[in-house]
Amino acid sequence: MTQTILSVNKLYKYFPVARTIIERLTFRPQKVVHAVDGVTFELNKGEIMALVGESGSGKTTVSMNVLGLQTPTSGQILFQDNDVARWAQGKLSAEENAALQLGRQQVMALRRKAQMIFQDPYESLDPRQTVFQIVAEPLEIHGLVQNEEEKHARVKDALEVCGLSPAEHFWDRHPDRLSGGQRQRVVIAAALVLEPELLVADEPVSMLDVSIRAEILNLLLKLRNERQLAILYTTHDLATAGFFTDKMAVMYLGRIVEIGATRDVLTNPQHPYTKALISVLPTPNKNPKQSRTILEGDVPNPINLPTGCRFHPRCPVAMTACKSTDPQLMAIDKKHQAACLLMHKEFATSR
Amino acid sequence: MTNILRAWNIFKRKPMAMVGLVMLLTVVTMAVFAPLLAPFDPYAKVPFEADKILAPPNAEHFLGTDDVGKDVWSQIIYGARISLLVGFLGSIMSILIGTMVGIVAGYYGGRMDQFLMRLVDFLMIIPGLPLMLVIIAVLGRGLDKIILVIGLLYWTYTSRLVRSLVISLKERQYILRIRSLGASHARIIFLHIFPQVVPLIVAQGVLSVSNAIISESVLSFLGLGDPLAISWGSMLNFAFARAVTRGGWWFLLPPGFAIVWVSLSVILIGTALEEIFNPRLRTHHLFDPRKMVQTKENIPAQDANAVLSVQNLSIDYIAQNGTALHAVQDVSFNLQPGRSIGLVGESGCGKTTVMLALMRLLPESGRITGGQVHFNNDNLLNKSEAQMCAIRWADLSIVFQGAMNALNPVRTVESQIIEALLHHKAVTTKEQARQRAAELLDLVGIAPQRSTQYQHQYSGGMRQRAVIAMALACNPQIIIADEPTTALDVMIQAQIIVLLNKLRKELNLSLILVTHDLGVVSEVCDDVLVMYGGKVAEYAPAEIIFKQPQHPYTQRLLQAFPDIAHPSVTLASIPGTPPQLDSLPTGCRFHPRCQLVQPICLDATPQPLPSATSHWVACHVAHNTREAK
Repeated sequence: MTQTILSVNKLYKYFPVARTIIERLTFRPQKVVHAVDGVTFELNKGEIMALVGESGSGKTTVSMNVLGLQTPTSGQILFQDNDVARWAQGKLSAEENAALQLGRQQVMALRRKAQMIFQDPYESLDPRQTVFQIVAEPLEIHGLVQNEEEKHARVKDALEVCGLSPAEHFWDRHPDRLSGGQRQRVVIAAALVLEPELLVADEPVSMLDVSIRAEILNLLLKLRNERQLAILYTTHDLATAGFFTDKMAVMYLGRIVEIGATRDVLTNPQHPYTKALISVLPTPNKNPKQSRTILEGDVPNPINLPTGCRFHPRCPVAMTACKSTDPQLMAIDKKHQAACLLMHKEFATSR
Repeated sequence: MTNILRAWNIFKRKPMAMVGLVMLLTVVTMAVFAPLLAPFDPYAKVPFEADKILAPPNAEHFLGTDDVGKDVWSQIIYGARISLLVGFLGSIMSILIGTMVGIVAGYYGGRMDQFLMRLVDFLMIIPGLPLMLVIIAVLGRGLDKIILVIGLLYWTYTSRLVRSLVISLKERQYILRIRSLGASHARIIFLHIFPQVVPLIVAQGVLSVSNAIISESVLSFLGLGDPLAISWGSMLNFAFARAVTRGGWWFLLPPGFAIVWVSLSVILIGTALEEIFNPRLRTHHLFDPRKMVQTKENIPAQDANAVLSVQNLSIDYIAQNGTALHAVQDVSFNLQPGRSIGLVGESGCGKTTVMLALMRLLPESGRITGGQVHFNNDNLLNKSEAQMCAIRWADLSIVFQGAMNALNPVRTVESQIIEALLHHKAVTTKEQARQRAAELLDLVGIAPQRSTQYQHQYSGGMRQRAVIAMALACNPQIIIADEPTTALDVMIQAQIIVLLNKLRKELNLSLILVTHDLGVVSEVCDDVLVMYGGKVAEYAPAEIIFKQPQHPYTQRLLQAFPDIAHPSVTLASIPGTPPQLDSLPTGCRFHPRCQLVQPICLDATPQPLPSATSHWVACHVAHNTREAK
């Protein structure tokens, strides 16, 4: 029986665009950046899911919202059946508390179970702390240890699980004495020391050398296998996502355009965007004759969204109908869905 | 603690800073040991003696006496106590207030920030002196009031500096990470933000001491200080009011000199501290390389047809303690016109160092210790800096990593290209330059209507295109691209790869691509040079590198690459890290991480031997297998 640990339901996150004084005086309508525009997915215990997309697709905003570093405009984020959409910044106002029926302690306890790994291991560690202080800090914040021995034991355990052993060899060092891969292991250890059930990994290997990427991804896989961790992995790199995730959601301009089991999405992509992303992957072992679909231009401005299908201005197979009709996710089979008009029978045959 | 020691080590090598420190310490010693050093007690009553009133400097009073016959030198010594006290306390107070306001405004932002910053603006436009006079008039005179006034007036500048630092810190990932752990605001501010602010406020504090001392002097000079306490300011006041008019003009000099002395000393120290804590102020210099003698056999041999031929290039970095670290040793390769070579390796393998050495742009600590770099059969290492300046960009051009940093944010993209064209005399008139700029932007696929925009209006991919257009401006023969696609999204990466290939064909460009991404190399490069630990590991045409790699390092790099066609294959990693320059392994530099390591690898350094036509491998194991065949 699979157990849903995270359920994101119709998540919307809009950022207001600052208005000039003239715009304010003339009562121009407030413009917004549609960072996340109705995203729904579920993540089961022990499952690894990839959120794939270019910058501006909203994948990082989704993970920030899941962890409460931002508050959604609307939508539901159920973490272990508690709605945590409004736990932003670790503080809850009184009425929100009442609505949630959770005390601060319970919020903290819940929060402990969802941890984040950031993109840049050179940036995500305080340069003034030692490795020991970095890994011990979460324990102190959550008051999880009674004495020094217990703290040492848990820090040592977390570091060694992450492949930094013997831990004593590393824990007096400052981050500038560690390599990129070792730093990312420290970041993971600092998350793991709280024994979380959900890890949100935001491009955890994109800043690392290719030779080290595999180490970190293998470590995440191992943690999933040993601890039944659920991992939400955001990336723009389909290749690493294809290597180690169970499930994949491809995002474009704040929407999920294709979602399904990783193997299905990669071997049988339905959305033209997914197909293009797969075709341009630079791989040394690829057949050079393989055709590539290179999309022109960039992801459009998320303030003024294209009409109809958001992808149509860059879509190599766009039809007239795409300019006016906004396609919804449609099931290809039980678990695989994509949002493209070409999947509708009337268009598929007309081509 | 180590940080303080490190700062001190830099500090003591700055002569001006040491002068400042000695100057300040003299005054501090004077103040502390005033009763021992002063020949007379300036607070004691002096019996009236006519010849001692306003006496010029003499043997007994070597700075003379004042209008009641007191020794000026003793007053200067005692005055240092008050002046330094007011200076330091006033500055500490202003720093405390400024830091607090800056942190609160920067960290919490929003309304709080608006309110505090408008208050700062308000205080900054009010002229300081009249305000001080008003406050003193209300509070009454006295030293404590002066300290208070200085503290209340001089915090604004500090608070602005601290605020902007805190705003940038707040967005740093490690602060975000700690927030996501659920840390309280107090914890984040005191444990993670405050320590980063300290260096700034130390430097700021030292500089504001001089402000405070001068303000105290001004206030005392105006007679608003404590009339009974002797400070340099009050001495000036007395001198001006009573001595000058009666011919004792020299009485003005000692206190004035003392004020200048202390202000100068703290400014020297503060400037040095600012330089130490703010690395951006440290400078780099370009050095001419030493003339080289060629001794070794060239592997591969120099190719006279090559546009660029590098032979046995070796580069050292000189560490702070003076030892030479061998960053690059005996790197050789040839680049034919119109071909492209990929310099591949993990971070720390020396590929960027090689690239900088080719352009003769190594940082101050880098030295080219051997080898030759022939550009059209002309050794670049024998060129003077002026000759190099003419070659850089015009013949050998570079595309740096991080396109957003390579463009000037306040000028349009077109104007930057035009300036470069005119500077290098590639064109003579502005009109020609404009035409050429339009051609270049068209070449890299930027629409003409966007040429007069600024970089912030460009997306990441377009910035990279603009930077490439600038590199092409003077029709260079070679372009060196340092990780040109690393920071970009996959789709943009693909666009840039297509662009690079198109440019190579159309302009017959030679390209050196520096990257750790073998995928990009496979799409762009004809030849590949795999570097490890500053040495050549394998050098061959791309198809050989990808199909029949012989060096274990190349093989492992390829296995580490996820293959979308076979996602089930487990990804291999290369355990361990590239060697540190200060502890290079003996023998083959890859042996600590090599799975095929043999006893010989620990002792003997493998030479790059030809394995087939234009294929060189530096590996004992590969050499032995080939011989066995």
